[in-house]
Amino acid sequence: MFFRPWVVSMTMAAVLLIVCDGCRSHVQDKPIGQSVSIPIPLGLPPLPLPRDNPPTADAVALGRALFYDKHLSQDDSLSCSSCHNPQTYFTDGQRLSKGLGGLSLRNAPTVMNAAYLPFQFWDGRALTLEEQAASPIADPLEMNQPHNVSVKKIAANGEYKAMFVETFGSDDVTIGRIENALASFERTLLSGNSAFDRYQYGGDQTALTISQARGLAVFLDPNKGNCASCHTVRPHDALFTDGKFHNTGEGVGDLDQFSDIGRYHETKVKTDTGAFKTPTLRNVAHTAPYMHDGRLKTLKEVVDFYAGGGNSNLYLDPEMKKIHLNGTDREDLVAFMQSLTGEMPPNVGPPGKK
Amino acid sequence: MKMKICLLLVVLSAGCSKKSNTVPVAVLDAPAYFKVDAASAGSISGKVKFAGPRPRPQLINMEEDPACVMAHAGKAYDESLVVDAHGALGNAFVYISRGLEGKNFETPTTPVVIDQRGCWFRPRLLGLQTGQTFKIVNSDPVTHNIHPMAMVNREWNHSQGPGDDPMTRRFIKPEIMIPVKCNIHSWMHAYIGVLDHPYFAVTKDDGSFEIKNLPAGTYTISIWQEKLGTQEQQITVAAQTNATANFTYKGKS
Repeated sequence: MFFRPWVVSMTMAAVLLIVCDGCRSHVQDKPIGQSVSIPIPLGLPPLPLPRDNPPTADAVALGRALFYDKHLSQDDSLSCSSCHNPQTYFTDGQRLSKGLGGLSLRNAPTVMNAAYLPFQFWDGRALTLEEQAASPIADPLEMNQPHNVSVKKIAANGEYKAMFVETFGSDDVTIGRIENALASFERTLLSGNSAFDRYQYGGDQTALTISQARGLAVFLDPNKGNCASCHTVRPHDALFTDGKFHNTGEGVGDLDQFSDIGRYHETKVKTDTGAFKTPTLRNVAHTAPYMHDGRLKTLKEVVDFYAGGGNSNLYLDPEMKKIHLNGTDREDLVAFMQSLTGEMPPNVGPPGKK
Repeated sequence: MKMKICLLLVVLSAGCSKKSNTVPVAVLDAPAYFKVDAASAGSISGKVKFAGPRPRPQLINMEEDPACVMAHAGKAYDESLVVDAHGALGNAFVYISRGLEGKNFETPTTPVVIDQRGCWFRPRLLGLQTGQTFKIVNSDPVTHNIHPMAMVNREWNHSQGPGDDPMTRRFIKPEIMIPVKCNIHSWMHAYIGVLDHPYFAVTKDDGSFEIKNLPAGTYTISIWQEKLGTQEQQITVAAQTNATANFTYKGKS
């Protein structure tokens, strides 16, 4: 018995359709309505926006509500803002964050300007804010709540009903919608217009102190601080990160072992062992402690760490070359980093507050 | 082909018989350590002198790091050549350089500690045995980065912040001497002597040293000082006696 080829392919297509239908909900996760224009502060580049998740005003408002909502954690005790607190520039000021499963493994990075980054998390295991957003909710060490439970709890809260209707066109709650709304809110967390920005990009020669201006020169000079080789400064804007992964030797133990293997976890490339994403330095004076493990307590300790050439190990980044900084250089670098404190955008605190 | 199968069978059956055997088959021979018989051992002691003019104390400038100026609480002087009023030379490394070949000495289990304190390495000069634990402590309120610039052993450097836990490392091969610097504070120096035996000493402030429990025999005893270089002499040690080895460094004329 023979089937005609087109019958076979039609049948297969139908089967595929049914299968796909089973795994995809009918619910659209893309917000309806017009994308809002997010103001870009001085010193930041144009903001990349995903086509399938334009930041609408409703999506941003919904994301803001969700960001501060403790129902996204198993025992209703933690929200995203517990570790990404606006008062400390969306970090938590702790060496390691306290989640429901105890201490997390790494220092909470800021969410500010994360919308520009090609990778999220210290090891880059998410590519987009959308992909990142729901991960800590389900992480047993962090908010420890399976997505289906989060969806149920949010759906059970009547206050969200209208917000989901306005944002997505129906009151269905899905984890995809939660992710999209959180990401849209996070895209508004831009911080720039610091003293450095006014000096470098705004033509205000008085914006930096003499020590800070000297520190900037040390920062940029490849033969002195060589900081900008990873903490990027460009002609028209500066994210103070290359968004890439580097091994500085931080976290290496006896016998060259890394307790946290970092980027290697994702790529399985040996030379990525102990490499972590370059953090931005914007607002760095207010986001202590430092490094992926939060081991360094002050900016002076950070400068000294680099002045010492980091820690030797098999996979040390070649840019961690020996740098030569005298005492004044080191003080100037710390002063310069204090000039990177930018403005906080409006409407980013808990809903109902400015 | 038949031969191969037979061989395979032999191997397999050999494997089986080994499995049923409860005695471990692949035990490495425990290293045979040389044990010193106290009855036949002697010692070497001596004094080290510097015949040149006593060097004037040189002030160290720690301004590179104001925290070090405060940590040191007072004036800091260079310690690379310390001679007392009688010409005694402290901080020289004395060790047996020949005569112990073929003897395998057990590695001590006690760690040798170096402390980063007052923006100095303490001690400045130390010896340890191959494989012995080298424990690094930072007692200062500032970050240090210890950097042993080894040539025979692996070179490494590691940063230690204020309050950080001590860390441990080992040196696998004998090396005289490994210069140590702090990558962050240019004036900080130390020197490490690594030997595969326990017969070494660092001279005290009065220039004296003592090497005990040495098997009777003829040896070359060497001395190393960071500014003055090395000297050596032959010495014979008899059981239950002390042999004297004095050294004198000439000053620059």
